Amino acid sequence: MYDSNQQNPQRRPPNYTPTVGPMPAPNPNTPPQPGVIPGQMPNPIPPTPGADPSKTRRVTGKPKGTLEAIRELGTTELPEPKSNIHCVTIVGQVEGHLSLPPQNKTTKYEHIIPQLVGLEQSQEVEGILLILNTVGGDVEAGLAIAEMVASMSKPTVSIVLGGGHSIGGPIAVSTDYSFIAETASMTIHPIRLNGLVVGVPQTYEYLDKMQDRVIHFVTQHSNISEEKFRELMFRTGELARDIGTVLIGRDAVEVGLIDEVGGLGQAVNKLKQLIEENKNRSGVPLQ
Amino acid sequence: MILYTPMQLELVLEGLEEQSNANQREINVGNATLVVEDKGFGRAQVVRLISTDPQDYLNPDFAPGTEVQL
Repeated sequence: MYDSNQQNPQRRPPNYTPTVGPMPAPNPNTPPQPGVIPGQMPNPIPPTPGADPSKTRRVTGKPKGTLEAIRELGTTELPEPKSNIHCVTIVGQVEGHLSLPPQNKTTKYEHIIPQLVGLEQSQEVEGILLILNTVGGDVEAGLAIAEMVASMSKPTVSIVLGGGHSIGGPIAVSTDYSFIAETASMTIHPIRLNGLVVGVPQTYEYLDKMQDRVIHFVTQHSNISEEKFRELMFRTGELARDIGTVLIGRDAVEVGLIDEVGGLGQAVNKLKQLIEENKNRSGVPLQ
Repeated sequence: MILYTPMQLELVLEGLEEQSNANQREINVGNATLVVEDKGFGRAQVVRLISTDPQDYLNPDFAPGTEVQL
């Protein structure tokens, strides 16, 4: 309907008072209204009798400035979004009982092992992603890391990028599920004669025992058979200076050493899936 | 100790004899002990963390290779 008041302000009713503008001085003769402080505007929207007072108010959301106040006054520590997945990287040489000269990039096992303890114990960490790009290293240090990862109760997924050679093999297969990038390679070769055992060079028998430790670990934690792994280890003709085999991407999956060819996306998805399965198995309610 | 690696041993172990830990010293940070290598000018690099609290090993400030101010 046509509203004459809005269209023509001149034709307003005589008792009209503008709501915007300077307040008229309060008349000292009029008694002050209860609940209204003189000089201040009374509530412009009087609550309608019978109606719910909460519905007449406009909902404006959270009071402004509470977060800022907490942050600036430091009254409480705000929980920062933290990842439930932790990532352990094994790069370069796995450094063991001997600290290697500085031209080597090394992964220090004495730091990785307590880290794994911390991750196992931590409430927030639900899964561990192991990223490998290693050229091997100390047998004992590598096997120590592999055994620690294999005995963790939390879901673990490994991904071999670039290379997972020699002692990288046992570390790669130690997780619940393993991935290898399409172009990544893994060298499987016999343990060579290096180092000393209390002053005398190792005998063949000793080296054979060391090799057996690696072979047993790998065959127990992957789908490769002992015969197949030994065959790859002692194969001649593929490596120029040495005996052994280089497995590239899909080859490692075909022999049963690694579970799947894949990259980061697949690895993280698999880890999420394992975390869900782990939660359902332990019967912890989802919160 | 046996190194199981396809890399040439001469390459890996080159300069092993020249290594020294003369510049290394231990500093205490809270309940943790850090073995640091003095780099001069009040700077040092973490070599190793010695602590019984496994959560200390998840602290990025204590990771080997981190530079600390003395």
